[in-house]
Amino acid sequence: MLASLFLIGASLTTPQMSVQAASQTIVEDSDDGMTRAVNRMVGGIVSYARWPDGAADSTRVMCVIGTPRLTNRMAPDVPGAGSVLVRRLSVGTVAGRADCDILFLGRMAIADRRQLIAWVRGRPILTITDDDAACIYGAMFCLSNRAANLSFSVNLDAIGRGPLRIDPRVLSIGRSAGGPP
Amino acid sequence: MTGQIPERIGARTTLQKLLSRFHFGITLFAVALSGLTILLAGVSALRGYADRNMELAAQLGAYGVEPALVFNDPQAAREGLEPLTRIPGIARLRVLNDRGQPLTQWSSPMADPAPLLTRMFFPRPFAVAIERNGSAIGTIEVWGDSSTLIDYVRIGLLAGLGCLLITALGTIFLARRFEYELVKPLNEIATVAHDVRLHRRFDKRVKPLGIAELDRLGGDINNLLDELQGWQGHMESERAMLAHRASHDTLTAMPNRDAFDEQLAQRIASADARGERFALLFIDADNFKAANDSFGHAAGDAVLVALSACIKDTLRKGDFAARIGGDEFIVIVDPLDAETVPDDLARHIRACVAQPVTLPGGETYQASASVGVAVYPDDGGDATALLTAADAAMYANKLRNRSKA
Repeated sequence: MLASLFLIGASLTTPQMSVQAASQTIVEDSDDGMTRAVNRMVGGIVSYARWPDGAADSTRVMCVIGTPRLTNRMAPDVPGAGSVLVRRLSVGTVAGRADCDILFLGRMAIADRRQLIAWVRGRPILTITDDDAACIYGAMFCLSNRAANLSFSVNLDAIGRGPLRIDPRVLSIGRSAGGPP
Repeated sequence: MTGQIPERIGARTTLQKLLSRFHFGITLFAVALSGLTILLAGVSALRGYADRNMELAAQLGAYGVEPALVFNDPQAAREGLEPLTRIPGIARLRVLNDRGQPLTQWSSPMADPAPLLTRMFFPRPFAVAIERNGSAIGTIEVWGDSSTLIDYVRIGLLAGLGCLLITALGTIFLARRFEYELVKPLNEIATVAHDVRLHRRFDKRVKPLGIAELDRLGGDINNLLDELQGWQGHMESERAMLAHRASHDTLTAMPNRDAFDEQLAQRIASADARGERFALLFIDADNFKAANDSFGHAAGDAVLVALSACIKDTLRKGDFAARIGGDEFIVIVDPLDAETVPDDLARHIRACVAQPVTLPGGETYQASASVGVAVYPDDGGDATALLTAADAAMYANKLRNRSKA
């Protein structure tokens, strides 16, 4: 009872903190195990996202900004039809381009990240980061490797603000696994 | 012959039992047939529903575990299967990834209530391929168990038992009804036949019956009884005639010597019992032989008829007269009370006989008769003695008459 009161209070005072804890993907124990796991997870997330303009099997452009922490060989593995084209961009060039469907935010300055999140708001762009384990800085999906497992968390507020539709099953995976909701 | 009858009846069955058995057989057959049909239809329909149920469960599971397969996440797969574990009738679940390795599996904690039923209905698991954007990413397998079927089977068996009970009750009811409708008229006929055979009651008839065949049988029996009754009546009148002929004289229509002997014995016994007396008149026509010879037999007969008419005329109620020989008659005057004087009766008879008789030839003949009186038990203690005494008295009277003539 007290705990639930505290939770309600917490969600009222910090509305941006409705973050879902992550699922646990098994990472194979090899050199490129983490790379494969990250690519598979990103591909899976992309496959469950719906852009307002297009079909599921179209090619999406992923713009990687900053330095990814988990892998340098970013090549998302989308199950079934559909694929992802990877581009590396700097913070300054993103705003000028209109063809980014996905933003992958690696390690970067906090001010840059805040600027990008603000720019994304209202646009049909999926945001994924691997530099925010608590998932509190405004990216929709946050990857993290805890205890040799790869997992992702969901920021429902960020998803709710954007025009993208995410399959609720993915949200529930992000929500139900691991730590406190 | 009589020893055989009970044995035969004992070995036979009653019509009611026969009908009851017949009805039970028919009804049981019908119930079994319809029950079997319903059971087969029910089982095939149930099998269809069970298959569909498993398929739906598998589809639901496939939908639930699809992201888990995409992210290769066993925990999420377990959670995706969670809704299925609450569906009754699922024994086991397994999720395989695209390489055929199990991602997660679940087994029902409840034991299978009827493994045989499970083997019959769910010989192999339902497998549904899980696809993501057109490519197979894994398989979900669902094993069913008999927990949902067992209720149907139980209800089916109960219903079957109930039907059997209703069958038995219905059979009893039908048999009762048949007893009323069929056995009762038959019993009616049997009763009449039995009554006729045992008590010779030929006036009994079978009443009109509701069933056409039985009514015809009853009608035939009635006709037979009509004929039997006719024969019986004819035989009785014949016998009465023969009996009369045996005990009576044909010419005078009076009882004969045999009848008289019988009557006398009775009167003696009766008089002994009551301590009373009675008189015997012995009557003999005088010169009858001479009349017979001179006028012929027809004249003799006429004289005898006239004589008998005189005797009958004299008789009172209770008296008995018989012709015991050619021209000999006897009258038993019984009871013999104070007012009755046998001699007066004798005189009356003789006076009557003395009147002229017209013979068949046209001549007239004046007959006369001798009468002897004997009183029981004064003149004789038994039939022979009494008769002898009466005969002697008559003879004395005849002698007296001759000397007078």
